Amino acid sequence: MQRIMICEDDPKLSAILKTNIEKSGYDTGVVLDFDRVLEFFQSYDPHLVLMDVNLPKFDGFYWCRQIRAVSKCQILFISARSGEMDQVMALEYGADDYITKPFHLEVVMAKIRSQIRRGYGEYAQPTDERIVKLAGLVVYPERLELELNGSRTLLTKKEAVLLETLIQQFPRVVSRETLLDKLWDDQAFVDENTLNVNITRLRKKLQEIGIENAVETARGAGYKLQIVWDSRDL
Amino acid sequence: MKLFIREHIPLIILHIVQMFLVLLIYWLDGYQNMLTALYSVFIGLVLLTGYLIYRYISHKSLYSKLTAPLETLDDSIQGGGSTPLSSAFDELLQAQYGHYRQLLTIREKTRNDHLAFMNQWVHQMKTPLSVIRLMMEEADDERSASILEETARMEKGLETVLYAARLETFERDFQVESVSLRGIVENVIHENKRLFIGNKVYPELLVESGLTIESDAKWLSFMIGQVVTNAIKYSADSNQKIIFTSYVRGKEAILEIRDHGIGIPLADRKRVFQPFYTGDNGRQYRESTGMGLYFAQEISNRLGHRIELDSEVGVGTSVKIIFASYLTKT
Repeated sequence: MQRIMICEDDPKLSAILKTNIEKSGYDTGVVLDFDRVLEFFQSYDPHLVLMDVNLPKFDGFYWCRQIRAVSKCQILFISARSGEMDQVMALEYGADDYITKPFHLEVVMAKIRSQIRRGYGEYAQPTDERIVKLAGLVVYPERLELELNGSRTLLTKKEAVLLETLIQQFPRVVSRETLLDKLWDDQAFVDENTLNVNITRLRKKLQEIGIENAVETARGAGYKLQIVWDSRDL
Repeated sequence: MKLFIREHIPLIILHIVQMFLVLLIYWLDGYQNMLTALYSVFIGLVLLTGYLIYRYISHKSLYSKLTAPLETLDDSIQGGGSTPLSSAFDELLQAQYGHYRQLLTIREKTRNDHLAFMNQWVHQMKTPLSVIRLMMEEADDERSASILEETARMEKGLETVLYAARLETFERDFQVESVSLRGIVENVIHENKRLFIGNKVYPELLVESGLTIESDAKWLSFMIGQVVTNAIKYSADSNQKIIFTSYVRGKEAILEIRDHGIGIPLADRKRVFQPFYTGDNGRQYRESTGMGLYFAQEISNRLGHRIELDSEVGVGTSVKIIFASYLTKT
């Protein structure tokens, strides 16, 4: 279990960070006394520190130097300042990376994961592989595979993203905007037609493993998933 | 020299009149020796010339100061000679200069304080925005999606304020390097992802990947961002594409951003780059500050790029950013 120390003076922000980091399978320690950041660090001994720049009393750069004097652990800066100077300063003081506010959850989590991986090797992954399941239907987003009752088929990256989103939001309707939003993360700027095409392809893939009409079109709202298959595993 | 002569014409006339007056009185008294009289006039003129030369040399700096245009405020207190008139004149200028400097210093200080406060405030607003964003990303439903959209708009607004404040200190805040044009455009498109999707407008990226230009990545991104925001806003819900193309013309590389939106009326076209100018479209659409294109032009001037706009009502608008130097990697 990797330990992550959160040093952020906004209580709500640190609470949100805490829940999400714990969801990903890490242990968290939140600094409450900003006069004694270093003592907390030494007693908690984390693998990675999330450090805000603007703290009461001393700033994050100061604490970063203090920590660097006693440890080689990973330090990730969070700051509202997007100026290059600040980023250069942070890296000068020995930070490993830098996130600017306002940030996206996915970005923070991705950076934490990659830092931990870089610092402690592959074995440090809390989960070996992401698996998305719904009533016996299993998606392996990293392998781009889909499985039901032992029959498998391969998915394209876009199909996997679509199906994963539909499963995560089940049983709600997922709007076209949300789906487009997710697809865009894949460096491609997908338009409405491409979305339609990919939904059609996803339906074909589901047919291949014997699922008909699982992806339902909700007029004017988007798409939703329906469980129309039987699973032997249930 | 001219000023000096103009200044002394009355003195010269007075002097000559005075000499002839003296001669006239002698002549009326019965004095007949013409040569001696002329000689005395000659001596008089030599003396006058001598005086004028001395006067000119001693006041030369004062006269040149009076005729030469002032280049800067600081030139006004450069020494003007040591004659009574010059030094009195200098003292006056010094005093005036001092008063102005003092006023300027006070104004500058209040302005800088104001800017610093604004900067700090904008940065402080980013934390609550981060909290809202993260909470909404956790919730992940329709309502939070709509709040996220508003949050994104606030973030954009804050960013614009920051950049506007930074324009002042531009000279200390930019760094020209070779940047990949396509990379920059891609980032800008991703930053405006939700704006594109929410308005049902989609980008088409036809920028060559091997093209690098000399620019500051941060400022150029901001500038392209302003243009893209406009393009999306004025072609919303049209299901049309916004096309990003690059091409090379002689020694220049050009990035063109074309939309198929409502276009800009001819009357407004000449004035779109003026600050606070919203025009017809801006008044019909919400949240036009009229500053976007003004910023874009200011930045492009400072980075040494050019920006051109072409538009036809009902057909669309095309904005070209022209870079003076480029490299292509094949």
